[in-house]
Amino acid sequence: MGQRHTTRFCEYLFTILVVLSLNFVLPRAMPGDPFLILSAEHGEEIARFSPAQEEAYRRQYGLDRPWPVQYASYLGGLVRGDLGYSIYYNQGVTDILLARLPWTLLLVLSAVFFSTLAGCLLAGLSASFRDSALDRLLYPLMVAVAEIPAFLLGLVLLFTLAAGLQLFPLSGAMTHFADHGSLWGKAVDIARHAALPVLTLTLVRTGSMYLLARNAMITVLTRDYIRTARAKGLSPLRIFARHSLRNALVPIVTRVFLSLGGLVGGAILVENVFVYPGLGRLMRESVMVHDYPMIQGIFLLVTVTVLSANFLADLVYKRLDPRIGESAEVRP
Amino acid sequence: MRVGRLLLFFTILFLPTACDTKPPEATTERGATGLVIRLEGGDWGYPSPFAHYPRGPGGFKMALLFDSLLERDEKGLIPWLAESYVIAEDGLSYRFTIREGVHWHDGLPLTPDDVVFSLDYANRHAATWSYIHDAVAKVSAAGNTVTVRLKRPQAVMLDNLGRTRIIPRHIWEKVDRPKEFTASEAVIGCGPYRLTHYSKEHGTYRFTANVDYWGPKPRVGSIEFVPVSEPILAYQNGELDMAGVTPDVLPRFAEDSANTIVRNPAFWGYRLLMNVKACEQVQDVRVRRALAHAIDRRELVDKIERGAAVPGRLAILPPDHVMAAEKTRDYPYHPDQARLLLDQAGFAGKNDKGIRLLQNGRPFTLTLLCSAQEVRMAELIGQRLAEVGIETAIRSVDGKSRDAKVRGGDYQLAVIGHGGWGGDADYLVSHLVGDVFDPNSSPSASGSGGVVSPELLELLRRQAIEVDAERRRQLIEEIQQAAAELVAEIPLYYTAGSTMYRPAKYDGWMNMYDHHAMQHSKLSYLERTGPAAKRTE
Amino acid sequence: MKVVELGCRETGGSRSFWRMLSGSGRMALAVLATMAMIALAAPFVCRHSPRIASGPALAAPSAAHPMGTDELGVDLWAQVAHGGRISLLVGAGTALLAGFGGAAAGIACGYRGGLADRLTMRLIDILLVMPDLPLMIVLAAFFGPSVVTIIIVLSAFSWVTTARVVRGRMLTLRERRYIKAAESYGAGTFYLLRRHFLPEIMPLAAVGMIRLAGRAIVAEAGLSFLGLGDPASRSWGLIMHHALSFRGIYYTDFWQWWLVFPWLALTLVVTSLALIGRDLERMADPRIRRRGC
Repeated sequence: MGQRHTTRFCEYLFTILVVLSLNFVLPRAMPGDPFLILSAEHGEEIARFSPAQEEAYRRQYGLDRPWPVQYASYLGGLVRGDLGYSIYYNQGVTDILLARLPWTLLLVLSAVFFSTLAGCLLAGLSASFRDSALDRLLYPLMVAVAEIPAFLLGLVLLFTLAAGLQLFPLSGAMTHFADHGSLWGKAVDIARHAALPVLTLTLVRTGSMYLLARNAMITVLTRDYIRTARAKGLSPLRIFARHSLRNALVPIVTRVFLSLGGLVGGAILVENVFVYPGLGRLMRESVMVHDYPMIQGIFLLVTVTVLSANFLADLVYKRLDPRIGESAEVRP
Repeated sequence: MRVGRLLLFFTILFLPTACDTKPPEATTERGATGLVIRLEGGDWGYPSPFAHYPRGPGGFKMALLFDSLLERDEKGLIPWLAESYVIAEDGLSYRFTIREGVHWHDGLPLTPDDVVFSLDYANRHAATWSYIHDAVAKVSAAGNTVTVRLKRPQAVMLDNLGRTRIIPRHIWEKVDRPKEFTASEAVIGCGPYRLTHYSKEHGTYRFTANVDYWGPKPRVGSIEFVPVSEPILAYQNGELDMAGVTPDVLPRFAEDSANTIVRNPAFWGYRLLMNVKACEQVQDVRVRRALAHAIDRRELVDKIERGAAVPGRLAILPPDHVMAAEKTRDYPYHPDQARLLLDQAGFAGKNDKGIRLLQNGRPFTLTLLCSAQEVRMAELIGQRLAEVGIETAIRSVDGKSRDAKVRGGDYQLAVIGHGGWGGDADYLVSHLVGDVFDPNSSPSASGSGGVVSPELLELLRRQAIEVDAERRRQLIEEIQQAAAELVAEIPLYYTAGSTMYRPAKYDGWMNMYDHHAMQHSKLSYLERTGPAAKRTE
Repeated sequence: MKVVELGCRETGGSRSFWRMLSGSGRMALAVLATMAMIALAAPFVCRHSPRIASGPALAAPSAAHPMGTDELGVDLWAQVAHGGRISLLVGAGTALLAGFGGAAAGIACGYRGGLADRLTMRLIDILLVMPDLPLMIVLAAFFGPSVVTIIIVLSAFSWVTTARVVRGRMLTLRERRYIKAAESYGAGTFYLLRRHFLPEIMPLAAVGMIRLAGRAIVAEAGLSFLGLGDPASRSWGLIMHHALSFRGIYYTDFWQWWLVFPWLALTLVVTSLALIGRDLERMADPRIRRRGC
């Protein structure tokens, strides 16, 4: 088991290295020079730079050194936790990321929590009352919901609940310069702003979580020990809570970690639909202005997060179910 | 469940970051008058002269904090930190008399030494909006006057020197990397407002009135910039006090007398460049005139801006410009005239698809370079050109690549859009001749070169050094007439949106003579007294 | 057992395929087929051009313009129909490229094994765990917006799932007794491929391709929606992007046709593909096949 873990760990490390190098090469080969932005008149005023000034700034940002040297300093900086300095935003990349990360985490973690809860509950109902009218209604509904892409769903919610019925705000993470009076008021405000993005991501994930949980539970319910429990006269609720849920937990929990990767992609699009100040919005903005260090930083953070989640899923899977052989792998 | 506990942990983790960033100084929240104005926010950078983002809103926020030697009102330049100025006969030397009794936000007095330092610093380190890069030979102070000696005479330098922000020497003399200087001292200026809140990720700002301001008293106590995804809806809900209004919804708001709707001056525009240096077909002036007749500028205004724009003038300066010439040659939409001109230019032959043929028998095709935002405009232009027998191949790239290609001369036709059309007429130089005079001109400023006659070149050179305002105006009028004759470039249209606000809440909005956005004018927020008094003549 | 299997394969045809689909599967197939036909025949089905203005701007749906017009006065029905071509191209292109590529890789790895197999598996592992959308955004910005680029990028990501599944099946197949028997009789690789492997792999690959097509269409729509797609195309995601960028879109009712119709088209296609995919999955499952025959 230990050797297996080490091998997997090395694989993940190697993947990260590949990602790092890709991360480094791509933005540099992109068309568009970041200094054009600084000296462009795309706005209302015309700013001019002399070549000497441009050179001075290039030297400061290290863009004039040969690629291998830039790569070495990039890796060195990473080890120190320095993700570079954003040319457009005029701030350290790490600082900007840390400011935006909590908002994305709020969305993603809330969605994981709620979708797991809802999916398991509904699946429990479905599995326990299998082939009943409820089950036959839920199953195709969930299949349909599971397939709709997150941003399309988000658009529907935006136009109906936010713009139409005005139940929720159109954008942003909170109401600014408002006097809430208490921490509770502030929390409610944040929750209101996060409600629609979280709802979108939750709905998207509930479908697949439901299907997975339902399958797992049905498999468990047909087991002999369940029949024994029923024969013993235990109540259905007890059977559900004590036996089917616990044993179905293995694939569910692994799927929770794995879904983080998919949710990150969904969050990127959903944040842009709701103009939510998280990493997704930041990524689009920095791609638009060709801010190399910023794009590198976001991409790296996102990839490392997803890879870590997958690695955790691997660990958890093996810990939870010791029957699984060493050659088993987790399929995302 | 495990996940639940994880979630709780993270919620507690992020709650502190949800709080506002700490204000740099503890000042009263509401300011002197208590009036709070809310405008559309967005992150435009930390408002120090070196750290804000290049686009408009960032710089004008910075201008609320930092004063300059001269300021702009509806008609032109007015004295501000400089009580008066004298320009020497040879145009090389400017002497500014610096006002006394001005204090920085931290209480220290502003001295002519600060002015000398600021101009020198701006000469060495490029501010985000940098106007006097490398143009100043020497700055010196004597008593309460500051004398600036230029490397060569340039009429536009009055404006440029006037706009350069004055920064406190005692703070900036230790700063080597001004772009990264984002401590709270970086926003200490002598302007009418102080920065009391800035959040990068939310894009929020709050400016509070400086009660010790030397000049006209600020009328607005506190200016708050709040991001919204839909400004018009926010204005209607009372969350914003000013919003740009599109032609489709304008009638709804015009009916309500509680709103005042103002048409913005048309100072942001698009132009079509023709690369005379690299593309043979457009070297003949008849071809360029044909293009001007073939493109329906009014159609572009109607279809793309839905009427909220002014069709372009071949004299280049937009009609709202202070130096716009009255009578210049115009080229109305006239496809027959275009066809006639193209026939005369020797491209009468057509192939079976109706496209004209060049001398060597190849079809008359031009590539039209544009950015992703201008694809629709490019398509409409392409359709009009096809009607007169010119085939267009549209190449759409991202904005910055388009700028790079234009700068490098790698295009045949190109569409670019930018602001600053209201600025000093000196930009005619870069529009007409590109890099000849100013090696530091920015990418989309340099366009087609090589169409200029020696006479026009002489006119351009003379206006650049003419110090007398009236004589300069005369020269610029002649330049516009010549430009219209030559069709050096085709300005397509200048956007003229509308802005609405509620006068009952606040009515101090004004436009600077060369800018379209009322919320960007410093004088919008001040009482119109003293140097800011409204000029009636 | 073997007789039953063979019998299944030989009598399988279009009639039993249709019968094997569920009700929702049949409906989905019908919808998909209709949309594909409209997309292919777009120039003939639409009266107006998808590029040139043919009516008043932002007009509500009417007899002249069944889906209304956008801000430039371009007919929306024409745009949606032509946009279907982009989705069709992206979906089919990615599915074929990644599907066949993945299947080929899976067969080669599963059958041959050895060093190439191990290396490919490592590569697959790396590609599987990388988050695709962020990388696609970066690559789209790098390669520039074009439909071909999107197809290539999507394929480069998606071939791994098919390859993995196919390889798994190959590993089981390789051990079957009749395969070993055929090998010992001197059956060449191509014979084995044609006679035994492909019929087993086909259903798996088909399921994979359907799923790929769905994911590719969604990915392209997402990229265009963010504004990173090909600006000259008329993709559904791009139409929605233009609609949302329109100032006053929440305040006016133009969204009721400008946004709703491309949204509807996209949702229909994606849901139909998903339903068909699930049905195919059910059919390809050997347990069900054995029972169903």
